[in-house]
Amino acid sequence: MENQYWRSLEEREHFGDGGGEFQESPLRQIEPDQSRRGFLKAAGFAFAGGSLIGCSRAPAEKAMPYLSQPEGLVAGRAQYYASTCAGCSAGCGLLVKVHDGRPIKLEGNPEQAIGRGATCAVGQASILGLYDSLRLRQPLAEGKPTSWTEVDAAIRSHLKRDTAVRYLSGTITSPAKQAAIDRFLTQFHNAQHVMYDALSASAILDAHQQTHDARVLPHYRFDRADVIVSFDADFLGTWISPVEFAHDYTSRRLPPDRSWHAQFEARMSLTGTKADRRMKIAPGEIQERLLRLLRQVESANAGGDEVAERLLRSRSRSLVLCGANDVDAQVIVNQVNHLLGNYGNTLDIERPSRQRRGNDRELAKLLNEIKAGHVGALFMDGVNPMAELPEPPELGRVGLVVSLAGSLDETAERAHYVCPDHHYLESWSDAEPIAGLISLTQPAIRPLGQTRAIIESLSIWSGQPERAYDLLRQKYASNWERSVQAGIVQVEVGQAGPPAKWRDGQPKPPTPPSDSSGHTLVLYPGVAMLDGRHAYNPWLHELPDPITKITWDNCASLSPATAASFGLTDGDVVRIESMELPVVVQPGQHDSVIAVALGYGRKASERFANIGPHWIDRGPTVNAKGHVGENAARFLSLDGGVLRYERAGVHIAKTRRHIELAATQTHHTMEGRAIVQEVALKELGKPPETADVSEELWPPDHPTTGHRWAMAIDLNACTGCSACVLACQVENNTPVVGRDEVRRRREMHWIRIDRYYSGTPDDVEVAHQPMMCQQCEHAPCETVCPTLATVHSDEGLNQQIYNRCVGTRYCANNCPYKTRRFNWFNYPREDRLANLVLNPDVTVRTRGVMEKCTFCVQRIQEAKINSKHNGAPIQDGDTRTACQQCCPASAIVFGDLNDSKSRIARLAKDGRQYRVLEELNVGPSVHYLKIVRQEDQRNG
Amino acid sequence: MMRSRILTIVLGVAVLFSGMLLASRSSMFRLPGNHQGYEPVQPIAYSHRLHAGEMQIQCQYCHFGADKSRHAGIPPASVCMNCHKFVTAPLGAVRAEDELAGKEKRPPRPIVSTELSKLFNAVESSRPIAWTRIHSLPDFVYFDHRPHVNAGVACQQCHGPVETMERVRQVADLSMGWCVNCHRDANRTGIMGKRVKASTNCSTCHY
Repeated sequence: MENQYWRSLEEREHFGDGGGEFQESPLRQIEPDQSRRGFLKAAGFAFAGGSLIGCSRAPAEKAMPYLSQPEGLVAGRAQYYASTCAGCSAGCGLLVKVHDGRPIKLEGNPEQAIGRGATCAVGQASILGLYDSLRLRQPLAEGKPTSWTEVDAAIRSHLKRDTAVRYLSGTITSPAKQAAIDRFLTQFHNAQHVMYDALSASAILDAHQQTHDARVLPHYRFDRADVIVSFDADFLGTWISPVEFAHDYTSRRLPPDRSWHAQFEARMSLTGTKADRRMKIAPGEIQERLLRLLRQVESANAGGDEVAERLLRSRSRSLVLCGANDVDAQVIVNQVNHLLGNYGNTLDIERPSRQRRGNDRELAKLLNEIKAGHVGALFMDGVNPMAELPEPPELGRVGLVVSLAGSLDETAERAHYVCPDHHYLESWSDAEPIAGLISLTQPAIRPLGQTRAIIESLSIWSGQPERAYDLLRQKYASNWERSVQAGIVQVEVGQAGPPAKWRDGQPKPPTPPSDSSGHTLVLYPGVAMLDGRHAYNPWLHELPDPITKITWDNCASLSPATAASFGLTDGDVVRIESMELPVVVQPGQHDSVIAVALGYGRKASERFANIGPHWIDRGPTVNAKGHVGENAARFLSLDGGVLRYERAGVHIAKTRRHIELAATQTHHTMEGRAIVQEVALKELGKPPETADVSEELWPPDHPTTGHRWAMAIDLNACTGCSACVLACQVENNTPVVGRDEVRRRREMHWIRIDRYYSGTPDDVEVAHQPMMCQQCEHAPCETVCPTLATVHSDEGLNQQIYNRCVGTRYCANNCPYKTRRFNWFNYPREDRLANLVLNPDVTVRTRGVMEKCTFCVQRIQEAKINSKHNGAPIQDGDTRTACQQCCPASAIVFGDLNDSKSRIARLAKDGRQYRVLEELNVGPSVHYLKIVRQEDQRNG
Repeated sequence: MMRSRILTIVLGVAVLFSGMLLASRSSMFRLPGNHQGYEPVQPIAYSHRLHAGEMQIQCQYCHFGADKSRHAGIPPASVCMNCHKFVTAPLGAVRAEDELAGKEKRPPRPIVSTELSKLFNAVESSRPIAWTRIHSLPDFVYFDHRPHVNAGVACQQCHGPVETMERVRQVADLSMGWCVNCHRDANRTGIMGKRVKASTNCSTCHY
């Protein structure tokens, strides 16, 4: 149809019906003049009149104080309660920031030995689980809401003394819960507690049973290791206790006592990016390589192999690890460690870790019992076997299936009764992640629904109802107040049995790979999703994977050579057996390996169908099946008594499909600029070359006499774990935009971690660089804002004033670091429950407003006001940015440059210090410390 | 013809603009967002003139959040009940009842004034009192009482002579210009003889 635009004023008289294509406008009845001008005239009057009428007061606000205010509570001030994170089984200590009676932020508890004040990305994001509107609020019977009395009566009527009862759970680190489970199960003649971990370390435990007569997981001490050799153990990323390991590992990465780290792995993991020497190895070759190492160590002859040489030189101060869930390989590892004298120093089995206690052998046995119909009652707690296991258990053959999950996951859907547990932020509990270290969990909010703690449910079903609080209070009666306040209880670890002693044995010969054709599929936990327990969490889905930078999807990673041989590029969809996944080309991956992340394709991700802004060009966030990603758990296998994460002999088939991946970084080159800088270990200590900075054109008429805020980021310490990205998102109310917007590069994270590759295709090196607003002294963004919405403070901050911003976006155009984020839409915030997590100290931005890192100015303000109140000047560490506070590697340091005693003042003059794009002379306030690389070895 | 039309439009806009400018200076016409003079009826007719003026109860006895938090806060009912557990009516009324009781040779009946009975009802029925907020800044401003109280700024300087008010009203217009002017003056002349550093950085109040 012909365009109806006005070309001239005369044409408006001919503006007609349009041939009946459009409906009769209802305005025709009101207005005699049918043209647009007439409508605008009438509308204009109405608008003008309306605005005059609107010149009255804003609607009255009500202020409702307490009737009886609790002592010590002051409205507007946050309180911190010590607790323990339950995002995974590592058990890092937390300080929960509670504002107006609800938790809004999780910080690490500096006094607790696991977290040491840090949290990982999953821990930061886990607060959103509390405000999940799809969490169950009351128990269900056959899928219908019911009351606790009904459910209790029904369950107790089903349980007889001779019922075969099985309690299937994940690793239980809580002594109180373990006691409750034991008490519950003693009622039955045939009862068993089976623990399994979806991310299993059962082989390590079984290997120690063989070699030390005790089924223990050692407490690994990376701070005591001079040499670390890891075979596919991603200890900085997702393996067992990454926060503690990252902290310990990083403490040894600078001279004079810098450790040496070798990583043998099949796919590129976070740990591999930090290794001094990284070697690609196929999963089937690990055992053989370990045997070779064992021979070298046994004979004390390295034979020119650098790894063996270094290990032999650092007896009792080295650490050999293996992440493969293979008992034979783990037995060899134990033998190597024993010969090197590492037990008792870098491997502590006197105070072992309890962070993985799963037993795959017992799980296999239980699944067989279920299949044979021998199980009368099955209770499931903290596990989702229908989605996590390769062959889902046949729950139909079990008489009574009770799920204790907090939400309706794949397993709870098939349960007869669902008795939802509290969220951990609503719970009284304890945790013993390392033997002898007890960490308490206290609720930061009253339970939001009619959920009930599992300890209480079990005690009711045992016939001796007891509250969780009473149980804990009795158990830790001595020094209760102080323990709860600090979050930790010091306990003397008594020897549970005889001390673990070495038992000699012969290693088994290596198992030849069963099928040398095809590729090996390797399944791994992603940093954000882990085993899929957090599939409900939009923040974690939108967190870019630290290596691939892909969000809202899981992909099949292929090495560049393999992808080229198939003619595949990023986004091409391939079929692996029955599963279709997009490809991502991953430098540094072994050619025979296809890597796929676990934890996707979950029912909990169905809620993201409508996430993100609703506009005309909107793309979907979920795939055709309604999920985010594909559930790769079907490729696991439970045989030989262990859960295997590798499957050999897998074939890829190309499909003709191609999808656009939602990646936040597709540009891998630094364009010839020294954005990430490295320094060789032997060059350290030499004075740095001065940067080529041209003469200062700006006159020094803006002296900073008060505070001068600046930040230093140690690239040598940063592991790329992305905890800072999540912490910033929680602290600053950053919205979630959904997959399609991320694809358009419109993700809203104020801090991003850029990942750069270097080296040769055979020996890829990776660097991580956290990048946020550099708070430039001569900021190019400040000069171009037409409304002066971004100006400089007299303390060195580049301020972003949201209410002045009109959305020109010229500032983002001018930013050389591209760290400014624009609110293209009013991102949906209709979920009132999820809005409770918003930080009231930070404005929630609307559409059309630019935002960026503010160096957590709300925290700076709070510290300044407090110091004025106390009359004492601000000390270094009084104000810490969210990213600094959560970092497990302590890579980020923030403070006052004008404070001569502060860490940042010292680091700004460090020999390794440089600033990104310094030659532009914009004067960034963020200093980076160069990565330290060992220059001597370069071969794969 | 075009020139005359443009002239009309320009003159019209100029007249409108100057009209608004002049009108906003007069107290009769306020710009939107300016709530100066707002004096709403409160659920309980609490008199500051009686409590803060006549009885000289300190501001921060009730509004104790002022030096500890961003919000000075309206006191919880428990603060009122500290005294009003015992005080149920004006002294005169109580004495009158005592006299009458003495005359009629009977024990005096407890007297509760109407306003106080509203307070007691709220406490007994556990329904918090819904006061109408008077001094309210827009959401994009983060005002914090603490630095002002700690610097020695008197409450009356911004809130006016509250101890003379039967019903509280907003005395100042609380506009940004009003705040910034005082900050600039304070930086020059100090507060109560002490030097202060009242920041005029944007991010002091807008983040």
